[in-house]
Amino acid sequence: MKSRSWQSADVYWGVAGAVLLVVLWEGAVRAFDLPAYILPGILEILVSMVDLQSTLMDATWMTVMEAVSGYVIGSACGILLAVILTLIPTLKRWCLPAAIAINSVPVVAYAPLVLLWFGMGAESKIVMVSLAVGFTVFLSALTGLDQANRKSIDLLRSFGANPLMIIWRLKLPAALPLIASAMRVSTTRSMIVAIVTEMLGAYGGLGWVIYQATLQIDFVQVWAAIFAASLVSLIFFGAVSMIERKVIFWR
Amino acid sequence: MSLPLKNVPTADHQNTSPQVAPASTLLDLGGVSKTFGNVQALSGLNARIGTGEFVTVVGPSGCGKSTLFNIVAGLEEPDDGAGIQFRGQSCKARDLLGNVSFMPQQDLLLPWRTVIDNAILAIEMEGMPKAEARALALKMLPEFGLAGFEKQYPNQLSGGMRQRVALMRTFLFKRDLMLLDEPFGALDALTRTMMQRWLLDVWQKHNRTILFITHDVDEAIFLGDRVLVVTARPGKIKLELPVNLPRPRGAELVTSPEFISLKRTLLEAIEEESMKSFQATTGH
Ligand SMILES: Nc1ncnc2c1ncn2[C@@H]1O[C@H](COP(=O)(O)OP(=O)(O)OP(=O)(O)O)[C@@H](O)[C@H]1O
Ligand SMILES: [Mg+2]
Repeated sequence: MKSRSWQSADVYWGVAGAVLLVVLWEGAVRAFDLPAYILPGILEILVSMVDLQSTLMDATWMTVMEAVSGYVIGSACGILLAVILTLIPTLKRWCLPAAIAINSVPVVAYAPLVLLWFGMGAESKIVMVSLAVGFTVFLSALTGLDQANRKSIDLLRSFGANPLMIIWRLKLPAALPLIASAMRVSTTRSMIVAIVTEMLGAYGGLGWVIYQATLQIDFVQVWAAIFAASLVSLIFFGAVSMIERKVIFWR
Repeated sequence: MSLPLKNVPTADHQNTSPQVAPASTLLDLGGVSKTFGNVQALSGLNARIGTGEFVTVVGPSGCGKSTLFNIVAGLEEPDDGAGIQFRGQSCKARDLLGNVSFMPQQDLLLPWRTVIDNAILAIEMEGMPKAEARALALKMLPEFGLAGFEKQYPNQLSGGMRQRVALMRTFLFKRDLMLLDEPFGALDALTRTMMQRWLLDVWQKHNRTILFITHDVDEAIFLGDRVLVVTARPGKIKLELPVNLPRPRGAELVTSPEFISLKRTLLEAIEEESMKSFQATTGH
C-alpha cells in the first residue's frame, strides 16, 4: 500500500517539475526574445513536431527498433556471459580484467570501428547498443550472482544440487534485483547510444534527423527530434520499471 | 564411549513400548576435530548414531554443534585424522552431500518462492515434476499447521510459520538421517509442545534417524533416546545420557520422577560447561 502511494506521489512531483520547466522555458524565450537557433519556444517545437509527423515517426521507429534490439541482445548476452563465468571461476579470473578495461573506455569510442565493420545500416547501431547495454548488465549480473547467501548455497548443496541447479534456483533469482536495475538504467543508455551512432553515419533514425537538421540550420527540427527521443526514452524507461516491479515483487 | 543398547525403534514401527534391540550403526564419528583459523570448534568428538534412533544434542552456545552438523551434512571436511562411517562404510564428509536431510539453524526460505514452492525445493531438484511435488506437499500442509498458506510468500509469515515451512522442506527430502538444528527455536511454548509430539509421531511412522540440536533440556529429554552433552569449545562429547522413558511419550511425562532425575543430571553437566564457556568468553 505504502509503496503504491509513493509511486503516485512520484508521478505528481514529476508532472509538477515538467510543468515548471515548460513555464520557465516559454517564459525565458518570450522575456528575452530569444532567436530560434538559441532556443525556440516550446509551442513552436510542438507545432513543428505535428508538421514533421511522418518524418519523425519513421525516424523514431527506426531508432527504437535499433535501441530495443540492441537492448535485448545485449542484456541476454550480458546475463549469459555472467552465468558462464560464474560457473567457471578460472575463466572469470582471466576475463574480468579485460572486460573492465574494455568497459572503462566510453562505448562511443568504438563507433567508427563498428561503422566500418558493420556498415551504415541498422546493424552497426544494434551492435553498439548491444555493447553498451551488454557490459553494464554483465558487470551487474556478475556482482549479483556472487551475492547469494553462503548458507543458502550450502543448503542447496546438502540437497545434492550441482552448480547449474544452484545458479538456476538460487544465484540467478538472487541476482535479479541488480540485473533489473542495470537493465533499467540501460533503457535510456540504449537510446542515447543508438542516436549518437546514427549521427556518425546512418540512412535514417532520430540521430540522422538531428544531424541533417543541424546541417540545414533548422534548429526547431533538431528540438522536435530531441523531444521525440525524450518521449520514447521515457516510455521505454517506464515500461521496464513497471516490469521490474512486477518481476521483483519480494523486494 | 559405549553405545547404550536400549529402546531403539526398529524397522517395524508397531512399538508402543520401549524395545530392547541392538541398533545397527547408521553413523559413526571418530575423533572429529575442526579448526577455523585459530579457533578450534571441535576436538576429537566421538559419537555413534544407531539406525532409527532419535538423538538430541545440547551444549553451550558456540561449542560447535552447528559445525558438527555441517560436517555430517557433507558441507565441511573435518580436520585430518577424523573417521566417518555411514552405513558401515568409511567415507569423506562430502560423500554425505545429498544423503542427509539437513535443516540449518536459519530457515533460509527463498523470498521469491511461495510456501509450497519453498517446501518442494529439495525434491524438485531431485527431479520430481513440479506438479507432482506440489500435490505431495499440499497434502502435508495441514500436518505442519500451514493449511491455506500455500500461496503466501515468506515475508508474509511469522517466524514460527517460516520454521515450519523449513521443517516441511526437510521432511519432504526423504533420507535415513535427518539433522535438525534448533528446529523449534522460534516457536511459542504451546506450538512447540505440539510440534514435539507431532515430530515423535512422524519419526515413529516414517522410520527416520534424527539428530536434533536444542537449547531446551526438557525438549532434549522428551524427544530423545539419548542426549549428547557437548563440552564448551572445543567441543567433544562430555556426557551421553540414555533416556529410558517409555514411548509414546505424553505431556504428563515431564513431571515424572524419572524425567526430573534425568533433567537434574543434564542440567548439572550443562551448567558446568556453560560456566566454562562463559568464563572463556568474558575472561573471568
Ligand atoms: N566458517 C567458520 N569460520 C570461522 N569460524 C567459525 C565458522 N563456523 C563456526 N565458527 C566458529 O566455531 C565455533 C562453533 O560455532 P557453531 O556455530 O558450531 O556453534 P554452535 O554450538 O552451533 O552455537 P549456537 O548454539 O550458538 O548455535 C564458534 O566459535 C564459531 O565462531
Ligand atoms: Mg548453532
